[in-house]
Amino acid sequence: MIERTVTVVPEDGLHARPASQVVEAANGYESTVTVGPVDGDAVDASSMLGVTSLGVGPGDDVTLTADGPDEDEALNELESILSTPETE
Amino acid sequence: MIGNPPHMTQILSGVSATPLSGLGTARWYRTGDRPDPTAVEAVDPETEQHRFEEAQAAAREELEAERDRTRERVGSEEAAVFDAHLQFLSDPQLVEPIKQTIQAGEAAELAVDDAFGDAIEQFEGMEGMMAERADDLRDIRDRLLRLLAGSERTDLTALPEGTVLLAERLTPSDTAQLDPEVVAGFVTMTGGRTSHVSIFARSLGIPAIVGVGESLSDIREDTEVAIDADQEAIIANPDAAVRERVTAGRDVTVRQERVETVDRKEIEVAANIGTTAELEGAIRQGADGIGLFRTEFLFLDRNSAPDEAEQFETYLEVLDAFPEGRVVVRTLDIGGDKPIPYLALPEEVNPFLGNRGIRRSLGDDSQLFETQLRALLRAAGHAEGTLSVMFPLVSTIEELEAALERVDEVAADLDDEGVEYAIPELGVMIETPAAVLLAEAFAERVDFFSIGTNDLAQYVMAADRENEAVATLHDPTQPAVLRAIKRTVEAAHEHNAWIGMCGEAAGDPELTELLVGLGLDELSMSAVTVPAVKANVREIDSTDAAALSDRALGATTKSAVHDSIHQ
Repeated sequence: MIERTVTVVPEDGLHARPASQVVEAANGYESTVTVGPVDGDAVDASSMLGVTSLGVGPGDDVTLTADGPDEDEALNELESILSTPETE
Repeated sequence: MIGNPPHMTQILSGVSATPLSGLGTARWYRTGDRPDPTAVEAVDPETEQHRFEEAQAAAREELEAERDRTRERVGSEEAAVFDAHLQFLSDPQLVEPIKQTIQAGEAAELAVDDAFGDAIEQFEGMEGMMAERADDLRDIRDRLLRLLAGSERTDLTALPEGTVLLAERLTPSDTAQLDPEVVAGFVTMTGGRTSHVSIFARSLGIPAIVGVGESLSDIREDTEVAIDADQEAIIANPDAAVRERVTAGRDVTVRQERVETVDRKEIEVAANIGTTAELEGAIRQGADGIGLFRTEFLFLDRNSAPDEAEQFETYLEVLDAFPEGRVVVRTLDIGGDKPIPYLALPEEVNPFLGNRGIRRSLGDDSQLFETQLRALLRAAGHAEGTLSVMFPLVSTIEELEAALERVDEVAADLDDEGVEYAIPELGVMIETPAAVLLAEAFAERVDFFSIGTNDLAQYVMAADRENEAVATLHDPTQPAVLRAIKRTVEAAHEHNAWIGMCGEAAGDPELTELLVGLGLDELSMSAVTVPAVKANVREIDSTDAAALSDRALGATTKSAVHDSIHQ
């Protein structure tokens, strides 16, 4: 299992489109992916309900974990979603 | 309950989502029956699970169709909400508990209601975006329950012509299905000016009153109703005067072509917008271009400022809508009256006389200003049409020169970086008496002026534009305001600058002849008044108009001004 802490850049935080992107990405990997506050309980990143219930806003730090055969790719994609400002 | 007599005029007020009025027949939106989920008896777990999965698949199909339709008709940003709905629909945190409840011997209806109920409770009572998630979940739950019941909902794509749709609330998917050619408007109990439903209404160009409250249920099916955007009301059984008012302007044929007076003086008739969602309406109403793009809306209701790339895309989108026209962008006009969380604007005793507009752009917000100018110069370099950039609330030559210098600096930076750009037309928004009195000196330095009559009247008359008690003072037909306009027009023309007007007066068809007579080259207004003003321009002889404006300028009282207009 690997773990990484990233700062959330998109202005919507983990809502709306960035949340959708995270869920879609997490569902695309075999690994189990979680996301959560640095010092709190993590949720399943493939669950829209879980991800949006975190109430993460822009500038917040979150901890990502991935466990499985494609854990590196999974975390790289999630990190890139969370550290890219929205394009529209 | 004793209802109102069937033919009594009844006025219910709400919030106008669009500046459009309409007249039609009330039809209530039937969202399909939602039977009491506890009243359904389970067959057996296998059948119930199968029923749930069928409903889930049907919901997915509906959502995908609505998403595609919204993307095509409204925009991809608005369509993103359906992706979120699709993800909730297959969320393991909902699907698993549903499965468990079904295994325990309950009906699919109860399982869905329970699982969503728990999730909704989690989001309810929270603020902002979290509260919106509760609405999303309610939408999905109701969709599943309707599909489980096999109940028909009103087909919004097949409403009879002239329908005014009444509903407790409309979801984005509902709204995106409405055809502006067929639907005369809609009215909802809930919602506000910035709700999704209102944004969709504006981009589709549908008359709409939202937030009417529960009294809307007093209006019966098949009643004739008027949507009065000016009064922000829905009027049941309207009398002849109301009917005429709300349909005025509808018979004016929209023509995309530019207009000129009888004696061949071309007048540019443009639209004011705040968001790209309003572009479609501007085009549909036949505007020649955009005479005022209020960029502050790009900065409101978010947690950080839009970056250069986002602004560039937005400006280019507006410019691309008018490849042969002109787009006037006003740089950020923000002060203590508009709360923007990431700017931490200090509260001011008198924000309209405070640190706002160009004052902040040259001071506290200089970084934002630079980013905005970079995006604008780059957009000017990419666009087919003409970009014009104007600065708000300028009152000294030093401010204008500093702003122009910033443009030169940004251009030099872009040169160094090898980035494609062009210098747009540069202008001053004329809002302060100081700018009027120094108009000659300003005109020497810029390509154009645009008069913001709302603020100019406010500052010339020292009358708050929001204060009803001084509304008669705050009026563009006050002699002092008219003379300020005339003075500014003469200064502009003397120095070969063009001059437009982008306040509400520009869209008042009663004033078109006067404004043409005063010498304005461009008039910019709410898109909805463009056809009426264009029609007026075609009837005007500029010699007669000049004579009219001379009489109006000679008047020393507001009533004498009005007498001269109606002479």
